[in-house]
Amino acid sequence: MRKVRRAARALFSMRAALAILLLLILACVAGSVIPQGEIAAYYESAYPGRAGWLILLLGLDDVFHCAWFAILTAFLCANLLGCNLLRFPALIRRTRTGFTPERCLSRWDGEAQVETAGAPDALFRRMGFGRVRALRDGEGRECRYAVRNRIGAWGAWLTHLGMLIVILGFALGQMFAVSYSVYGVPGQTKAVGDTGYELTIDDFEVGLRDDETVEQYTARLTLTDTRSGNRTSGEASVNHPLKRFGMKLYQNSTGWAADVRVWRGEELTQQAVLCAGEQLAVEDMEGLVLAFNAFYPDYATDASGAPYTASSRLNNPAYLYTLYYQGRVLGMNALPAGERITVEDCSIAFDAPRSYTLIQIKRDPFTWLAGVGGGVLLLALFVAFYLRTEELWAVRREDGSWAVAGRSAKGGALFQEKLKRLAKQTGRPKE
Amino acid sequence: MGNPMLVRAESALFYATMALYLASMALYFTFFALKRERLGKLAGWALLAGFAAHTGALAVRGVCAGRLPLSNQYEFATSFAWGISLCALIFLWCFRFRALGAFITPVIFLVIGYAALQSREIRSLMPALQSNWLAVHVSTAIIAYGAFGVSFAVSAMYLLRERMEGSAIWREYVPEREKLDLISYRAVALGFLFLTFVIITGAIWAESAWGSYWSWDPKETWALITWFIYAIYLHLRVSRGWHGRAAAIFAAVGFVCVIFTYIGVNTLIPGIHSYA
Repeated sequence: MRKVRRAARALFSMRAALAILLLLILACVAGSVIPQGEIAAYYESAYPGRAGWLILLLGLDDVFHCAWFAILTAFLCANLLGCNLLRFPALIRRTRTGFTPERCLSRWDGEAQVETAGAPDALFRRMGFGRVRALRDGEGRECRYAVRNRIGAWGAWLTHLGMLIVILGFALGQMFAVSYSVYGVPGQTKAVGDTGYELTIDDFEVGLRDDETVEQYTARLTLTDTRSGNRTSGEASVNHPLKRFGMKLYQNSTGWAADVRVWRGEELTQQAVLCAGEQLAVEDMEGLVLAFNAFYPDYATDASGAPYTASSRLNNPAYLYTLYYQGRVLGMNALPAGERITVEDCSIAFDAPRSYTLIQIKRDPFTWLAGVGGGVLLLALFVAFYLRTEELWAVRREDGSWAVAGRSAKGGALFQEKLKRLAKQTGRPKE
Repeated sequence: MGNPMLVRAESALFYATMALYLASMALYFTFFALKRERLGKLAGWALLAGFAAHTGALAVRGVCAGRLPLSNQYEFATSFAWGISLCALIFLWCFRFRALGAFITPVIFLVIGYAALQSREIRSLMPALQSNWLAVHVSTAIIAYGAFGVSFAVSAMYLLRERMEGSAIWREYVPEREKLDLISYRAVALGFLFLTFVIITGAIWAESAWGSYWSWDPKETWALITWFIYAIYLHLRVSRGWHGRAAAIFAAVGFVCVIFTYIGVNTLIPGIHSYA
């Protein structure tokens, strides 16, 4: 039991907190410098010697999702929670009984930071103390006492609480949030994963400025609950997600799509909409696959023969494709609009290039919790830094002068300097 | 893009700003070397005039671009320098010691010098940047970085004050070490509060733009690293009595991290913030 208690005390200590923060810094540096989420072969070839092997062994290829990072975060949470639990009773006591004139005067060594000729009430006000208590001490001397910003003592405690709520919200979000991607061209309807919803892309528009830069991507969407038949429509654009059925629909990405037609002889046998990056298995031609690699609306080639698009206008459209047969490359080329790829009696053509949209559908039931945590964190930091607990007191001496002293959490020297400056300004410092 | 007359006006104001900051820096150095009170006052006025010209340059660029000038390397660098100037003026006014100017103006000049090396072309905003959160997120970053810049300058003063203990001019014009330590702490506190605000507003914005409020993008990660470093600084002050020299060194290291988050991440590590 004693060992457990000792281990818990060590885990809840400031030393442990600093060690955890240092380890988190190292993890974050590794996670930002080493490319994340690549395949194992990448690390083995990109990093010389055993570095690649070490990266994979330590999980540095996916730092933020590996077990030790989660454990480190759990330790941080335990530390924050333990620290707050241990400090809570003392903070309650301090707030209730820690700031009283009796306690303050009994602990005072009697040394004045400032001496005033008359009653220091104006000085108290100038120092920002509104409620000043007039009382007599144990020796019957006239005293003044004021305290402000008692809540300041709670700043660090609330900061820890805010951090805990943020981490909890984020962790719950990672566990329970769901995310799906649907892409297509206007007119297409696709299922949203296994949610029972269907998404119809009614329209998609890429708004261009005069200088041809993109102003906005806007998708008009209809979401249908296939179980109840309920439908709802709306618009999603970048920075303005559509909120429907407890989900958020984001206009996430875009690219080019085109119609693909396949003929056997003169007979049209197959047609489909293909987005750049997709493949099409040609029917009745076993093993023949067409990959639509890229689209160039204004096709041109540079000095080395590499293709690029001269503008975003459809001046000279060309489709970059690769044709595979039985897994082997049969051909690769940039096909101008109106031309066909021919394989035996089969011919293939691209047509009607247009933008497709990629819609991301998300449901994170705990975003609000992380938001609350963020709010608490901000408020707590303000309390910790700007509502410093300060006490000011004064005792009347036998010669009629007043000895004034005070204390401020996190700012003693500046507090005293201000006290001296304002004592001069109030015009009644003792000569 | 933009009215050519306004573009020229912005350019003139920007160079006037650089000249005034340079003059302020030279005057502060001379004041410090020759103990001429009058030069110190002049340096302060030059800094204020530089700040006014800088504000004018940013305002004209804003009118020219039809938006807040906070969306590329040049605009953020010049705004960053503006933030340090603003924080320097506030701290100079609050704590009333001119010598701070001699340490902060070189930082301002270096940052605005970096801005001068960037492309000043006014470009339209990409869709992800067309958000009201841009103004909140980046303007709070400017204040945070500005405050950390001040803490760096005050920490440098602290470290030099230690070595110059015997020098009369240092005793006369530079506050006691204890006071410098507290001023540096207050600057870090301001920066830390605003950095937290930056991270939170960035998360809110990312949630509406990209569908995820935290995605471990390098810029986000380095902002978090900076936050951790200053969190350690604040904890060490409380728990281990890390005042003075150690705290000053830590605050300086923190600012190096701030600079890396701003410049290093954008140039060395690709990510979704690469335009910033």
